[in-house]
Amino acid sequence: MVEMTGAKALFEALKAEGVKDIFGIPGGAIIPVYDALYDETDIHHILTRHEQAAAHAADGYARATGRPGVCFTTSGPGATNLTTGILNAYMDSSPVVAISGQMPNSVLGSDAFQEADMLSIMLPITKHNFIIRKVVDLPAIIRLAFKTATTGRPGPVHIDLPKDVQVSKADLKIPAEVNYQKVIKLDPNPEDIRKAVKMLVDAEQPVIYAGGGVIISSASAEVVTLAELLGAPVVTSLMGKGVIPEDHPLALGMLGMHGRMAANIAVSECDVLLGVGVRFSDRATGDVRHFASRAKIIHIDIDQVELGKNVRVDLPIVGDAKRALAEIIKGLKLQVKHGRTSAWLQKVKKMREELAPRMDYDEVPIKPQRVIKEIMSVLNDDAIIVTEVGQCQMWAAHFYVVKKPRHFISSGGLGTMGFGFPASMGVKVARPECDVVNIAGDGSFLMNSQELATVVENKINVVSCIFNNRYLGMVKQWQDLFYQKRRSGVYLGKVPDFVKLAEAYGAWGDRASRPSEIAPKLREALKCGKPAVLDIPIDPDEHVLPMVPSGGRLDEPILT
Amino acid sequence: MKTRMFSVLCQNVPGVMMRISRSFTRRQINLDSITVGIEPSGLARVILTFKADDRMAEFMRRILARAEPIIDVEVIDPERSIVREIALLKTKKLDEEQLWKVVQKVESAGGKILEDKGNVLIIELSGSHEHIENVVRELGPEILKEVARSGQVLISRETI
Repeated sequence: MVEMTGAKALFEALKAEGVKDIFGIPGGAIIPVYDALYDETDIHHILTRHEQAAAHAADGYARATGRPGVCFTTSGPGATNLTTGILNAYMDSSPVVAISGQMPNSVLGSDAFQEADMLSIMLPITKHNFIIRKVVDLPAIIRLAFKTATTGRPGPVHIDLPKDVQVSKADLKIPAEVNYQKVIKLDPNPEDIRKAVKMLVDAEQPVIYAGGGVIISSASAEVVTLAELLGAPVVTSLMGKGVIPEDHPLALGMLGMHGRMAANIAVSECDVLLGVGVRFSDRATGDVRHFASRAKIIHIDIDQVELGKNVRVDLPIVGDAKRALAEIIKGLKLQVKHGRTSAWLQKVKKMREELAPRMDYDEVPIKPQRVIKEIMSVLNDDAIIVTEVGQCQMWAAHFYVVKKPRHFISSGGLGTMGFGFPASMGVKVARPECDVVNIAGDGSFLMNSQELATVVENKINVVSCIFNNRYLGMVKQWQDLFYQKRRSGVYLGKVPDFVKLAEAYGAWGDRASRPSEIAPKLREALKCGKPAVLDIPIDPDEHVLPMVPSGGRLDEPILT
Repeated sequence: MKTRMFSVLCQNVPGVMMRISRSFTRRQINLDSITVGIEPSGLARVILTFKADDRMAEFMRRILARAEPIIDVEVIDPERSIVREIALLKTKKLDEEQLWKVVQKVESAGGKILEDKGNVLIIELSGSHEHIENVVRELGPEILKEVARSGQVLISRETI
């Protein structure tokens, strides 16, 4: 036991958790914490320019590493500004630990200056949240927060920390053990595994549908082994991109509304669908009545709430993806020969070749497909792609060939415009050795473009490629397709000049107006030694195609 | 739709009731009753009743079981439990004929008259949810001015 303040104990607990980087903005109610931070030499604080960006940066950090991302804010508006970022992390099961200052206990509930009821506000959008009422509870709650964020299905945890608790002194000790009482079922039921093995052995047209849960569980290798053993193609959710190298002959790419044709057809025709670490989200399934309608569905997830939530499931398996897949592989090895060939595999191979999307457009204004092709030609397999939300995101998801898990980072469940740029900042802080490229739309980028100040000041050298069509493109696409081209409230106008915007902040800025300019300018951006913005004017009339309309069937997409 | 009963064992921490009730609100389910008691262990026991089909009831069980402060969710089979509710009823000012009728009704329903002030009665009644519903309905708004109900409490018949 050592006498210390709550603020000091907070840093002792954070260091015990291995925290090195924190994104945040101080304010009145968290000054004692920042005062204690002044003495911390091993903790690197990155001052963002908006609290939402701090949450997204922590989220990006968590997704790139699997380790919790941490952010600090003050009370009231500082804390409420976190909410979009926290819900974004919740929807995509990302372990973020957010700590907000709060008004002192003595005035809570009196509408004091910058007081917000954060316990209530954060409650539905976090995996769990706390208010620390007494300094003696602080060390255990901080450790419990990290344990909660990272155990089982990960998720964000918010801690509300009243100012009097930050300054109170007590004899405190950071507990070595965390008193975490929740029981998480990691090992699948052996009987379920036997049933799954039998279903997969008997399957003639099996498909594996892998999602973000596989990445969280570090089970990519198991998915590839299982696919090869079974001779089953792998489709992924948006969150699952990178589970299998997408140039692998069995990888069919993303499933769903803007999925690859081959993936959507394979799922529509398969007789056994093994879903692992997926939510069967409406954007992936389309009309659930016709989703994989010929298939028996096996669903593996660590969160039993997901099993049978969105689609009928013939065999639900509760457990950790890695352990469940390893058990299935063990069972299968006794029964099938490696690399079995079948008419199904021939068909998959043919679909993969014949339905490969076209990217080699030479037109000006530039087609977005071509932009993705050029970016891919410049970046190596270790580069990490982060995306904003909308058309730019779906072009990246559809066309970009991702080779490794945790190398494609995107806002899936919440679809948060403005996520990409601050998230890319978090990714680069976590993985400074990797090239980090934010695939952005002009609309999304402007939602958090103030973070150009943060990346320049902190020398966080990320590159944003702006797919600039001067529209809120995805809304425009829906209006074009489903609202008789009545483009309402979607034109963003001629400003800003993104090159000048970048330069105003001291970042590198340039524009690529012809396809041949993209690759050399992107190389220059990566080498310039500064954060960079590459403005790429694209064809404003280009849609993301194919597209399965909302609630439509996967095998009936709009093609042109 | 069937009436469901859950007995939820949870940590007695700030926000736990809100955590439970909002899970139902979000799925557009009304909680018919919610009661809380603190167990000798210091944990809270929350008894919930609501209407839902089989699929939604199972979904809600899983949603609750997932919440961090919740330790256990038991689906209650009323056959294997004793379920009771307490109601306090206040009448309007009654004439002699009404008074006589109410006294008889309360006696036959196993209730107690706690107070009688100037022909206004306060009645205590306990029993199953249905029993209390029946008595309240039979007395009706002609007789009753206020009804206060405890919500359902239960205890399992299991010996271990």
